[in-house]
Amino acid sequence: MTATNKIQTYLQKTASPLPLIFFRIALGSMLFASIVRFWYNGWIEALYINPKHYFPFYGFEFVTPLGEFTYILFILCGASALMVALGLFYRVSSVVLFASFTYIELIDKSTYLNHYYFISLVCLLMIFLPANTALSLDALRNKKLAASQIPAWCTDSVKLFVGMLYFFAGLAKVNSDWLIHALPLRIWLPAKNDLPIIGGIFNHLWVAYAFAWIGCLYDLCIPFLLSNKKARPFAYMAVVIFHTLTSMLFPIGMFPYVMMATALIFFSPEFFHNILTKVSGNNTIVTTDRVFRYSRPARVCLQAFLAIFFIIQSVLPFRYLAYPGELFWTEQGYRFSWRVMLMEKAGHAEFTVKDTQGRLAVVDNKAFLTTLQEKMMTTQPDMILQYAHILRDHYTAQGFHSPQVYVDSYVALNGRLGMPLIDPHTNLANQHESFRAKPWILPHNHDSKGL
Amino acid sequence: MKSIKTQSIVVVLIITLFWSCSNNVSNDPAPTGEGNNRREILIHWVDNIIVPSYQRFETKLDVMVAKGQDFTNTPNNQTLLALRTAWVEAYVEWQKVEVFEFGAADRYALRTFFNIYPADVNGIMANINDPTANLNIPAAYARQGFPALDYLINGSGTDDNAILAFYTNHADAAKRKAYITTLLTRMSEMIDNVIAYWNKNEREAFISKTGLDIGSSMGLAVNAYVLHYEKYIRSGKIGIPAGATANSAGVAHPETVEAYYKKDISLILTQTAHQAAVDFFNGKNVTTGENGLGFKAYLNAIGAKDNSSGKDLSSIINDQFTVAKGKIDLLPPDFFQQINTDRSKMIDAFTEMQKAVRMIKVDMTSAMSITITYTDNDGD
Repeated sequence: MTATNKIQTYLQKTASPLPLIFFRIALGSMLFASIVRFWYNGWIEALYINPKHYFPFYGFEFVTPLGEFTYILFILCGASALMVALGLFYRVSSVVLFASFTYIELIDKSTYLNHYYFISLVCLLMIFLPANTALSLDALRNKKLAASQIPAWCTDSVKLFVGMLYFFAGLAKVNSDWLIHALPLRIWLPAKNDLPIIGGIFNHLWVAYAFAWIGCLYDLCIPFLLSNKKARPFAYMAVVIFHTLTSMLFPIGMFPYVMMATALIFFSPEFFHNILTKVSGNNTIVTTDRVFRYSRPARVCLQAFLAIFFIIQSVLPFRYLAYPGELFWTEQGYRFSWRVMLMEKAGHAEFTVKDTQGRLAVVDNKAFLTTLQEKMMTTQPDMILQYAHILRDHYTAQGFHSPQVYVDSYVALNGRLGMPLIDPHTNLANQHESFRAKPWILPHNHDSKGL
Repeated sequence: MKSIKTQSIVVVLIITLFWSCSNNVSNDPAPTGEGNNRREILIHWVDNIIVPSYQRFETKLDVMVAKGQDFTNTPNNQTLLALRTAWVEAYVEWQKVEVFEFGAADRYALRTFFNIYPADVNGIMANINDPTANLNIPAAYARQGFPALDYLINGSGTDDNAILAFYTNHADAAKRKAYITTLLTRMSEMIDNVIAYWNKNEREAFISKTGLDIGSSMGLAVNAYVLHYEKYIRSGKIGIPAGATANSAGVAHPETVEAYYKKDISLILTQTAHQAAVDFFNGKNVTTGENGLGFKAYLNAIGAKDNSSGKDLSSIINDQFTVAKGKIDLLPPDFFQQINTDRSKMIDAFTEMQKAVRMIKVDMTSAMSITITYTDNDGD
C-alpha cells in the first residue's frame, strides 16, 4: 500500500465520538468554572477594567477593553462555555466561546499564559468538529444529528494538538539552564520548603535536578504513552501526579485541572462507554447507527484548514531561530511556543521623558500601570516599547514637544546578576514595533545552549 | 472489559486522592534546616532584632521626653541643650528602627509620624495656634516627629537666645511649649503601641506566615526593606537634597536635608540608617552583635550565586554595601553645606547606593522567588 493509499484509508476511518464528546463536556465545564473563578477573584475588574492602559498584541491593536461591558463579554463567554458543555446550539455557542475567550486574551499581553493560548486554539478546532453528535441537547432535540461514528481524524486532530503542546513544552526544556543548571527550579523549589510533609525535600538541590529531568522526559513522552493502550493507565496516573504537584507548587490556577481533563481524550471509546453504562445502568446510550460525514466541500475545506493549522503550529515554536541573541533574554519568538516555567526573570525599568525645550520627567510606573503590568513590562522588550509609546503620547498631551523616551533597565535572568536589557541611549519614542529583530535590545553575556 | 473497569477505578481513585491532598495544604510549621527555614528567620527577626531595637529606641525616646518636660517646665539654656542632646541621640537611634516598616510599624504607619521631612513650618505654626488640629491626616505628617522638633528646638530662632525667647517672651509661648509636649507624648504612645503589638498579636501572625507569596511575612519584609533603602535612605537622605535623582533634573534642594536646622548631624543619621540596613541584611543580633539568620543566611542556604561568576549573591550585595558606605563616609557631617559647595561627592554616594538598590530589588527578590502578584502565572 502506498503512502497516499494509507492516508486515504485513514481519512475514511471512522470511530466512536465518545472521547471527543467527553472532551467537549469537560472543556465547556472547565471554562465555565474558570470564568466563574475569574469573576469571583475580582480579576475582571483588576485586569480589564481598572488599568489605565493596555498592551494589545502586535496586529491586534483594534482589540480594546470594553469598560463595564467587559462583564457582558465574560457573561457571553461563561454562558457559551456552559452551552458547549450541554451541547446546546453547538455551532453558535462554540463560535461565541472561541470569539469571546480569544477577545479577552487579546486585550492585554500582561495576562498572556500559554494555557489560555491553548484554550483559544482548542476552541477554534472544536467549532468545526462534530462534538455534539451524542450526549448533547442538540442531538436530543434533533435525532438526525445523533451519530455513533464520526471520522477518526476529528478526534485525532485534538489529540495531535495536545500531543504537540506537550512535546514542544518538552523540547523547550532541552536547554542548558533547565537540564544542566536545574534553573529556574532550583530557585523556585526552596520557596516551597514550608509545605507540610514534603516541604523539606525542596531544600536539596538534587530534587530540583530530578524535577527538571523528569519534567522534561514527561513532556516529551506523555503524548506517546497516552496513545499506547497498555501504557495509558500509568501515563494518566503520571499526568495526574505531575499536574497535581505543579498545582501545589506554582500559582498556575486552573491549568493543571484543564490538562488532567484534556488528557482524557486519549482514552478509548470503550472506556467512556463503560462509564456511561455504569452511570446510566444500561448500555443503550448511543442508539443510532448513523455515521457522521461532512459534505465534500466542507470536508476538503476543513482538512485544508487543519493542514495549515498544524503546519503553522509546527513552525511557530522555532521562529526564534530567525532572531539573534539569547531567546530567554530578548523574548523575540518566545510566546505561542509552549515555553512554560522556563525562566525566573525580574526587572526594574526607570523611564525618563524629555523634550527639546528642556522639559524632563522621570516616570513613576505605578501611576500608569498595574503591578502585574509593570512586572511583565520590565522584562519584555516589546512591552517596554509599547509603554514608551504610551508615555510619549501622554507627555505630548501634557505639552512636551515631540518627547524623547529613554529607559534605564536592569533585568536578572535565571539567577544571573542583573544587567541592562535596553540600550539607555535609544529614544524609544521613535522606534516602531515590527517582526524584525530589535537592535536596541542589549546582548546578554550568557547564552544558554539548547532548543 | 475488565481492564477498562480497573482503569476507571484507578483514575477515579487517583483524582480523589490528589484532589484532597492539594486541598489539605495548610500553613503547618516549616521543616528545619540551616538558614533556609523561614519560620526561624522570622522568629530571629522579631525576638533578636526588631523588638530589642525598638526597646533601645524607646529608652532614648524616654530620655528625650523627660528632657522635653524639663524644657517646657523651665525653658532655659541648660534645659534646651539637654533636650537637644537627647533629641540627637533619639534621632540617631530612630535610624536603626525605621527599617522595620512592616508588621506592627506598618500597621501604625510609624515612619509617617516620626520622620517625614522637610518640616512643614507654616503647618507647625498653624497647629500651635490650633491645639485641636488633627495630627493623623497626611497633611500633618511633616508637622510632627523628629523633623518638627528639629525646627522647634534648632530652627525657631536665629540663635539660642532667640529660640529661648520663642518659648518665653511671646504671647504664644504657652501654646508652643504645649505643642512640644503634644508631639513628645504622641511619639511615646506610638512606640508603646508598636512594641505592645509586636509582643501581643503580631508576633504569632508574623512567624506563621512562612510563604513567599503576597501577604507573607518575608514578602512584606523584603518589600519594606527595599523601599526603605531606595526611597528613604538613598533618595530621601542624599538623592533629593543633592539633586541626584533623575526627577530633580539636576536641581539641588539642600533645604530638604534631614535635620536641616541642626545641620551637622546629617552624616551620622545617614551612616546609622545605612548600617542598620546592612545589619538587617546580615541578620545581626542587636544584643549579641553577631550575624545570624536573615537575608544573607537565607541567600547562602538556597545557594544564590551569580551564575556567570559563581560568586555568592550575598557577598556581591555586601561588597556593594561596603562600596556605598565608603562613599557615604567621605561626606562631611553637614550635607547642607556640602551640597552648596560641591555636590559631586553626594552624587557618588547616590550612584553606588543605586547599584545596591538594584541588587536587593531585582537580584535578591528574584533569587528568593518572592511573588508580587495574585494572578495565575506560568513562569514566563
